[in-house]
Amino acid sequence: MPDKPRVIEKPDVLEKPDILKPPAPAPLVTFPVEVVVPEGRQQTPAVGQRATRADARLHGLGQTKYIDDMYFPNMLFAKIKRAGIASARIKSIDTKEAEAMPGVIAVITGRDIPCNSFGPSLKDQPVLASERVFHAGDGVAAVAAVSEQIAAEAIEKIKVEYEPLTPVLDPLESLKLETPGVHAPSANIYGHKLIKKGDVEKAFAESYRVFEGTFRTQMVEHVPLEPYACIAQWDANGRVTVYSTLGRITLGRADVARTLGIPMSRIRIIATVVGGNFGGKNEIRAEPVMALLSKKTGRPVKCVYTRSEEFTASTTRHPLVMDYKTGVSKQGKILGRKIRLVLDGGAYCSWSETTLGKACILSAGPYNIDNLYAEAFVVYTNKTMTGAMRGFGAPQVCFAYESHMDDIAHALGLDPLEFRLMNAFEEGSISPTGQKLHSVVVKESLLRAAKRFGWNGLGDGNGTGVKA
Amino acid sequence: MKRRGRGMACMWYPIGFTVAANPSAAVVKVNEDGTATLLTGTVETGQGSLTILAQIVAQELGIATDDVHVVSADTDATPMDTGAIASRTTYVTGNAARIAAEKAKETLFEVAAPLMAVKPSQLEAADHKIFVKGFPQRNMHIGDVANHARVVSGQPPIGSGYFNPETLALDPETGQGKPFGTYVYATQIAEVDVDDETGEVEVVRIVASHDCGTAINPMLVEGQVEGGVSMGVGFALEEEILFDANGRQLNPNLTNYIMPTSLDMPEVEVDIVDNYDPTGPFGAKGVGEPTLVPTAAAICNAIYDAVGVRITALPATSEKVFKALQAKREQQPKQIGAAPNGGGGSSASVH
Repeated sequence: MPDKPRVIEKPDVLEKPDILKPPAPAPLVTFPVEVVVPEGRQQTPAVGQRATRADARLHGLGQTKYIDDMYFPNMLFAKIKRAGIASARIKSIDTKEAEAMPGVIAVITGRDIPCNSFGPSLKDQPVLASERVFHAGDGVAAVAAVSEQIAAEAIEKIKVEYEPLTPVLDPLESLKLETPGVHAPSANIYGHKLIKKGDVEKAFAESYRVFEGTFRTQMVEHVPLEPYACIAQWDANGRVTVYSTLGRITLGRADVARTLGIPMSRIRIIATVVGGNFGGKNEIRAEPVMALLSKKTGRPVKCVYTRSEEFTASTTRHPLVMDYKTGVSKQGKILGRKIRLVLDGGAYCSWSETTLGKACILSAGPYNIDNLYAEAFVVYTNKTMTGAMRGFGAPQVCFAYESHMDDIAHALGLDPLEFRLMNAFEEGSISPTGQKLHSVVVKESLLRAAKRFGWNGLGDGNGTGVKA
Repeated sequence: MKRRGRGMACMWYPIGFTVAANPSAAVVKVNEDGTATLLTGTVETGQGSLTILAQIVAQELGIATDDVHVVSADTDATPMDTGAIASRTTYVTGNAARIAAEKAKETLFEVAAPLMAVKPSQLEAADHKIFVKGFPQRNMHIGDVANHARVVSGQPPIGSGYFNPETLALDPETGQGKPFGTYVYATQIAEVDVDDETGEVEVVRIVASHDCGTAINPMLVEGQVEGGVSMGVGFALEEEILFDANGRQLNPNLTNYIMPTSLDMPEVEVDIVDNYDPTGPFGAKGVGEPTLVPTAAAICNAIYDAVGVRITALPATSEKVFKALQAKREQQPKQIGAAPNGGGGSSASVH
């Protein structure tokens, strides 16, 4: 749900001339002009030094300019209307009332986008939904106004008529062939990965014991301190400059060029200092919308997502359902492992293919396993899109394989450390994809952490009583 | 009462993109005063990567970190970069920056060699000087060489370079191939207190031993690990986007989407595992993403160690741990006191 806009009683710019003025300049910060360069930055050789960051001082003094701090003369503020319904056909969008509001300079919808699709691999994501809504955070229209408040009020006046459709919300349901396609006629399974090595069934047959477990993880948000933000400025030469919180400007420029249908040479993307990315800013969001609003109005246009939009209209981490089956020898050597991963891919592909690949490749853990069968699927649902997030599927599979490892260790009466050391990769080990690994230190990390922690063998699963 | 438990988790994580080409390019200009400017298309997203890149360029040129000014993230001015993603900046962009600096240095050596009556191959750069290998007293300040290069030799010392990790496509039938250039490894061990009456979990301490190849800047590695652990604690215990029956988010705000604050942070002991990767810049790999990968597993293994319940669905909220404890008690009505090996794994699992 979008934030409730702050309602201005009479949004008449003539009555409230203050809102047309740029914000007051920031109060003067006094700071010593003679800068003492910290020692770590002055020393050679440079590698290995605890050098402080060049931007640390600016951050500390509040002088770093984030997009929200940037202002250009005559700049407009934009807001995007969110669908608020997970799956629907758009019957009509009426923007007349919003357009008539004093202070509103331009309104656009998906029909104004020259090429209304993008995505890092599959181009399945509309810039603004024009015919179908695939998740509640889809944008359906955008307004540029002289103030953020007027823009927020204007999007409330846009009337969208929907024909609601039944959303697909459960990834395991989505996996079934009989489930209606989220992006019909495309199948719900939009990515598949398989890694095979040896003969896993034979290994299970020869195992002393076989263990099974199912693990699930949830959808989480990146929650960067700085939400997504962008400013677009279309100039008289037909060139557009975009300031953005984007973490990948090279790809971003290509995507903006494609959606706007203009040559890349007419686009300049400047990524400002970003207040946290964690994977949520690795593809374009509203850049084409701001560029078009700027083109339409001849003025710079700024958009800063609300915290709510950051949750509902940007990417999130893939929830996973993970089935593990592992056969071990009497001594505790892993003989075979079979894994099935189902990734909830949300409404759009985004970075799902990368997440699927990394999750599947890493799913067996850092262990020597001769017989492996790891299969992964990613499916569409009508939920917030899932995409890149710190770890690309690795935190999810690590939660599964390491919980599973402890279960096995406990059942065999082995110290979890000993069980891991017995099976861990070493220099020259062959990975699940057949890659010979170099600079491998998983055993060293286990031993160092155990020593530092004061690890002392197998627990009894009943903890140590501590003072309540 | 509160019960203390400990649990470990180890992991492996690749540096860079899966198979697909993910190059970075870089340009290094050595200025007349012996400082340098690096042009890179990567973006500073708060992790300190521009400082790491400055250190790599400084190392190659034998100058200090503060002598390198970094210009980044402008498609009009900076060379292409696949971006601040996939823990690739230190390894991929770092290699590109090192190669660019090496090329600028080659020009400096060409200019300096006749001045010192040696061949360029006999020269080295360190501590702001270009000197003859084995004869450090025969040297010139890098600024003098750079200025000479510009005003006398007419050879501005500017280098450009690129790097793309060597990969091999995966076979679609078997998944066999070389998807990544290199990997990092890590172990985290968590100590938790679990209240066996309320299910509340407090993470007391986490020891994190991380491999990142050479630590170009140990302080920034520590920062990444501490940040990763905080994200891992949230993933393990609190954070979850909830949906209503119609697919709308119920808690898209920081009032109802609970994440760790500084008060929820455990004591984090960062341990950097000595390593050197010959394919990385000065032996470095990366550390950004892996720092959160093992945290949730280590915490859940510690919960099991403390109270004998296996949480199989994240997050391990107090409610979930409480229900698991209840289920465990119901299954063992007559056992009072310690049960050997806790719930025995899946028998007390909660979905």
